[in-house]
Amino acid sequence: MIPLSDHSMLAKRVHDEESRQSFVNDFRVHLASQVFPGNFPTYYNRVLPQFIKDKGREPETRHEVRRVMTHDPYYSFWSAMQRNSQEMIWDSVIDSVERQLPELIEKSRKPGNKGSLTLDPDLETPKYHVAADIHLQPGAYHSDQIDDDVAAGAMYDWGTYIYSMGGLGTGNNALGQITYGFFKNEFPDAKPKRILDMGCTIGGSITYWAQQMPDAECHGLDVGAPVLRYGHARAEAIGAAVHFSQQNAEHTNFEDESFDIVMSHILLHETSRTAIQNVFNESYRLLKPGGVMMHMDLPQAHGQPPLEGFLFEWEIYNNNEHFFAQLRDMDMPELCRKAGFKDENILPKSAGSFWMEDQTPYADDGFEFPITMAIK
Amino acid sequence: MPKDDQKKIKLPRTAKGKKPQYFADPTVDKLLSMVLTLMGELSVTRDRLDTVERLIESNGLFKVDDIEHYEIPDDVNAVRTERRSAYIARVLKTVQDELDSLQQKGDGKNTELED
Repeated sequence: MIPLSDHSMLAKRVHDEESRQSFVNDFRVHLASQVFPGNFPTYYNRVLPQFIKDKGREPETRHEVRRVMTHDPYYSFWSAMQRNSQEMIWDSVIDSVERQLPELIEKSRKPGNKGSLTLDPDLETPKYHVAADIHLQPGAYHSDQIDDDVAAGAMYDWGTYIYSMGGLGTGNNALGQITYGFFKNEFPDAKPKRILDMGCTIGGSITYWAQQMPDAECHGLDVGAPVLRYGHARAEAIGAAVHFSQQNAEHTNFEDESFDIVMSHILLHETSRTAIQNVFNESYRLLKPGGVMMHMDLPQAHGQPPLEGFLFEWEIYNNNEHFFAQLRDMDMPELCRKAGFKDENILPKSAGSFWMEDQTPYADDGFEFPITMAIK
Repeated sequence: MPKDDQKKIKLPRTAKGKKPQYFADPTVDKLLSMVLTLMGELSVTRDRLDTVERLIESNGLFKVDDIEHYEIPDDVNAVRTERRSAYIARVLKTVQDELDSLQQKGDGKNTELED
């Protein structure tokens, strides 16, 4: 594994904890590079011929492919191992976090004072968060197990690093690197004064932006208190000024027209149909005239062949990403229109690792995230 | 200093949400989880052994043959017993998961979130 840059909030690992995490990483690399690709010959040599024999035609949609592929023994076994590997990520990080939790909480109580942290104990956690633990992280991102808990954030820091097999870079901030590089290319002369990242969890992306733009006032919001406490302490440990607040991106307490950039990084697919429209409406409200909305998320279904479309949706059914199923077919420009953006200012884009400052294992794989961009 | 109750915190180990069943017999799902965990733990043990062997070699602390004739003191035995217990729980976590899920509130289904 490529090393994760140390900072004082990062849970330290003893020998076997590090070894266990390395195994999970290497196991996932093996699954991705050696086992997953076998789903293609399995489909074309076994599942597809049987489908044609039964129906006299090829599958027309990813849903049809799903109904037959999920019963194939090769696919099932890969899928079961992939699911287990996701559970093993969390199992491999919980021990070190649990052991050091009192010290991590103590450290988070005395962070620096470059940024700030504002929590709202009365905030209602939306149902799309409480229905199931997203990404199988036990306890999810919002649950406090103890006063001033930071465990969810500490687990998230290591867990996402292992999940991405180091692909998020040594600073665990690849998504922020991508949006920042993308923004600088789109608006080379822009000097944003106030920036908001919605659904920031531990603030990997907005902290990167704050490091690149120290003169801008950078805000990150999330519904989860433990990830925000950790994110605040992490940003301070790294030396970046970020203002974290516990809020729902659908309805915030910020003033009208008070931000130059409102963005999110793979937030939308964790919400709901109504919530996405609310997030776009809120983005429009918060933007100054000329301000830029950038919501980066996972690819949608259109343009994907049925097999690829089906395989891309594995996480929906196996990794508690249920709402992503609906996002796959939503009309994002239409949501922008409903939010108030003018047609000519709605600019669907995409961006990938090409824009990253760091080189990571994913830096040359050509993966692109769609960005729903609109200018007020 | 942390309060006493903070020292005893046990974080949840089982994610809330319906776990898919991958094989016709759910027992196979459990057995696969156990095999994969065993794979991991054997890998961890081999890494640890490798560390020990390299330290021996570089520091010349004792003869590898001493390992074969090591007499286990009581306190070491207690530590090993605790470690074995945690090891068994880890490999059998898939069994505990089922029990934990039964005791979580709600059915964990999240497939109809259309508002």
